[in-house]
Amino acid sequence: MKNYQLGEFEEIVLLTVGILNNEAYSVAIKDEIESRLKRTVSMGALHTALIRLEDKGYLKSFSGESTEDRAGRPRRYFEITALGKKAMLYAKETREQLWKAIPKAVLEVSLQKLAVSSHQ
Amino acid sequence: MKSKKYNPPQLALRFFRWYSNPRLQYYIEGDLMEVYERRIKKSGKLMADIRFSVDVLLLCRPGIIGSKQNNYSSNHIDMFRNNFKIALRNLWKNKPSTVINVLGLTTGITACLLIALFIQHELSFDQFQSKGSRIARVVMEYGFEGSTETNKGTFTSTKVAPVLSRTFPEVEKGVRMTDADMILRLNNEPVTEPNFMFSDSSFFDTFDFEMLEGDAETALDGKYKIVLTETAAQKYFGNESAVGKILEVGAAKTPYEVTGVMRDYPKNSQLKFDFLASFSSMGQNQEETYFNANYTTYLLLSNEFAFAPLKEKLDPFMEKEMKGTGATIRFHLEAFRDVHLQSPYRAFVSNTSMSYLYLLGGVALLIIIIVCSTYVNLSTAKSIERAKEVGVRKVSGAARTQLFWQFIGEAFVVCCLSVVVSFSAASLLLPYFNTFVDRSFQLTDLFTPTFLLITFLITIAISLAAGSYPAIILSGMQPARILKGLFKNSSSAKQLQHSLVVFQFAITVFLIVCTIIIRNQLSYIQNKSLGYDRNHVLSLNIGWDMDYNKLKTIKQELKKNPLIIEVSRAANSPVNIYSGYSMRLPSMPENEVISVNANPIDEGFLKTNGLQLIAGRDFSEQDLEAANREGENKEFSYIINERTAKTFGWTPEEAIGRQLVLNSPGEIRGVIKDFHFQSIYNDLKPIVLFTAPWGGNLLLVKTSGGDIPATIAYIETVWKELVPNRPFEYSFLDDTYASMYKTETQLGNVMSLFSATAIILACLGLFGLSSYMMQQRMKEIGIRKVLGATLMNLIGILSGNFIILVIIAIVIASPLAYLLMKSWLSEFAYHTGIAWWIFAVAGVVIISITIITVSIHGFRAMAENPVRSLRSE
Repeated sequence: MKNYQLGEFEEIVLLTVGILNNEAYSVAIKDEIESRLKRTVSMGALHTALIRLEDKGYLKSFSGESTEDRAGRPRRYFEITALGKKAMLYAKETREQLWKAIPKAVLEVSLQKLAVSSHQ
Repeated sequence: MKSKKYNPPQLALRFFRWYSNPRLQYYIEGDLMEVYERRIKKSGKLMADIRFSVDVLLLCRPGIIGSKQNNYSSNHIDMFRNNFKIALRNLWKNKPSTVINVLGLTTGITACLLIALFIQHELSFDQFQSKGSRIARVVMEYGFEGSTETNKGTFTSTKVAPVLSRTFPEVEKGVRMTDADMILRLNNEPVTEPNFMFSDSSFFDTFDFEMLEGDAETALDGKYKIVLTETAAQKYFGNESAVGKILEVGAAKTPYEVTGVMRDYPKNSQLKFDFLASFSSMGQNQEETYFNANYTTYLLLSNEFAFAPLKEKLDPFMEKEMKGTGATIRFHLEAFRDVHLQSPYRAFVSNTSMSYLYLLGGVALLIIIIVCSTYVNLSTAKSIERAKEVGVRKVSGAARTQLFWQFIGEAFVVCCLSVVVSFSAASLLLPYFNTFVDRSFQLTDLFTPTFLLITFLITIAISLAAGSYPAIILSGMQPARILKGLFKNSSSAKQLQHSLVVFQFAITVFLIVCTIIIRNQLSYIQNKSLGYDRNHVLSLNIGWDMDYNKLKTIKQELKKNPLIIEVSRAANSPVNIYSGYSMRLPSMPENEVISVNANPIDEGFLKTNGLQLIAGRDFSEQDLEAANREGENKEFSYIINERTAKTFGWTPEEAIGRQLVLNSPGEIRGVIKDFHFQSIYNDLKPIVLFTAPWGGNLLLVKTSGGDIPATIAYIETVWKELVPNRPFEYSFLDDTYASMYKTETQLGNVMSLFSATAIILACLGLFGLSSYMMQQRMKEIGIRKVLGATLMNLIGILSGNFIILVIIAIVIASPLAYLLMKSWLSEFAYHTGIAWWIFAVAGVVIISITIITVSIHGFRAMAENPVRSLRSE
């Protein structure tokens, strides 16, 4: 089986591109992640991730129209490739397998602990 | 259309554009703009600006940073070949500017090569000695109790080296050396050998050498042993082995045994000799006194850090040694390798001052700047012609850096061309340069690896200095504008051209002014009345051992010729009297003395040298005979100058008949007018002339100046008959005097040469520049002609611009030259002033050259039919 390399932030970016479907360009991706996950995303981190994903072949990009609010600069839209979809699925499946492998008791205890600590 | 409402911090934006990968640049920039605008609305401009900058900084990470070269891969070898071809074609096409550039660069580079050769040679002095950092030269400073004056110099007595090496563990070896002119016999004819040295055998432990024959260990052990250099051995013994042979040395024909032959000593050494004889041969190997200091002492120290500790121990040691002698002696140590460039004291080979090297280096730099300015001016003027090429290249995808390097490459091609020509020019000029700076460089010196490296560096530096501005201008042009034909020379380029013209001419004016002042001072020195007459005076070396009565015969024999006016024997000629003595009055306590310069002379000295007696009388033959008597009857006579009389508070008349003690007591017979007996750097000083039985080794012959060859021939016949054991060699006193100012004369010559070069180069530059400006103004000239402008009108209009620039140059350069020259002149005790006319002359010369240069083009433009220039559209 092929080894799909996918970092945590990369996975989030890939998923967000999927959510945005045909509207995925950098600022929109940034906004989406920020609003959904309540975390700030730096432009630098996002672009590096996008470049890396493109290099790995999980994303492909095409130039969009240039707009007034971007001082004439074109947008660059991203689309998930077939390979990207496989990678996403692979990531999801491995997670699920790992989830299933965890004994129930462990989870309960840790949840209880979480509950206790949140009460304090 | 670009909207005006986005104004993110320009610095950050430019930074971003600089580092970002051009493939991503526009997209990310768009993002930044979008976010920026949103932030302005949300939290104001300041916050947005700050966060924009933060974003730019955070974006600066691998993946986003990218260089432009990575975008495409071009075939560099093909491009290089193409660029090279284009460069050559361009040079061929613009022949006038190529010729001006190559001519200018060649002149400049040739000058620099020669200067570099000289500087490199001087800097390399003594560096080859492997133990050089451990060798010290001893400087002696002595004074007498009761006098605060001290004398310093590299003279030391025979006692110094053995005592110091025995007493101090820091001193490994001591070498005593002295140089002499020795008479040797070559094919039974006496020959004076100027490079004869006596040295201790420790020479071989201290200095580097290469022995070809004989054993260095024992070569200089014992009396009358001598080591020859290869050249000397060849000269005296031909191809035979010299070891074991005998050389007859000196007037007394002392036999010296040749014990070794060594390789010729390098030219860049402060030790210069063809013969190295054992020090003990002089019979002065004693350790009796610290005075009688006529030798140079070198010490080999145990390590290079021993200088300071040894010096600390030396002072108390010498204080103890000199206790109760009425004199003080201190020794100083000079680092061997610093001697040639930094020591103020005499060395075996005359020193070069560091400031002279700086001056030469400065001149070379100024010339290079002028040459580079010319190149920059011509290339920027030409840039209009190259603009189309740049436009097409850019449209075809050339990057700015590519174009930049293309134009630098062009400068490099021109430079290389000039360097090649320069090398041949330099080799042709080398003999003249040698006489000019009094060195003996050879062709092979030009091709040493160090020198080639220096040349290569100069080439690169010039290509970059001259090529980079035109390259930046040309490569920065916007293709769209050029191809539309909107392109004109930018005003900043024009300003640069103007400032470079000012700069060039400022340098030229500066050099002209300095040259005139230096020349003035030189002729002032040469023609200054020094208080004595040095014309038509011959000096011959007669030796210290000449018997008084025999000398009398020689003098009488010489004076028989009506062309010879007077003959005198003395220790020194009036040109240069440095021998130090101490004097006192009989009434003064014995340890209270005044140091004074003195010279032993005879009765003909005053007349031979035209010294003016103002009181008393000249020496008579009786005075000399009185000084020549044995024992009790010995009587000394003195002649002093006005300053000496003043020292004791006498008027010249009062001084006559007084007693004076100069080593021995004697009577003052006469007072003469002050005269310059030392270099003109020094003020007039007191001097005592005295009768001495041992006289001196110089025979001064004053001739009438008529038929010099016949006079010399006559002296030679007398000489051959009466002094057969000495070679007949003579020099003229005014030549000796001139040689004292060799450095100044050299400086004068060098400055004249280089300021002439600078003027030519600056004119070349102006010529080229005005020709291009003229081409651009052809239409204007045509219209003016049609409307009835005369030739004078046109020249006025065309040269007006340049004249203003040249006047600015004069205003800038004059005060600088004035200040520099004033400080140079102040080193002389007697010097000329800086007259205003010097600046006027420089100004007139420069302005007339400007007008002439520009007029040449003016005439050409005038001669052309205006129809031709106006029809072209």
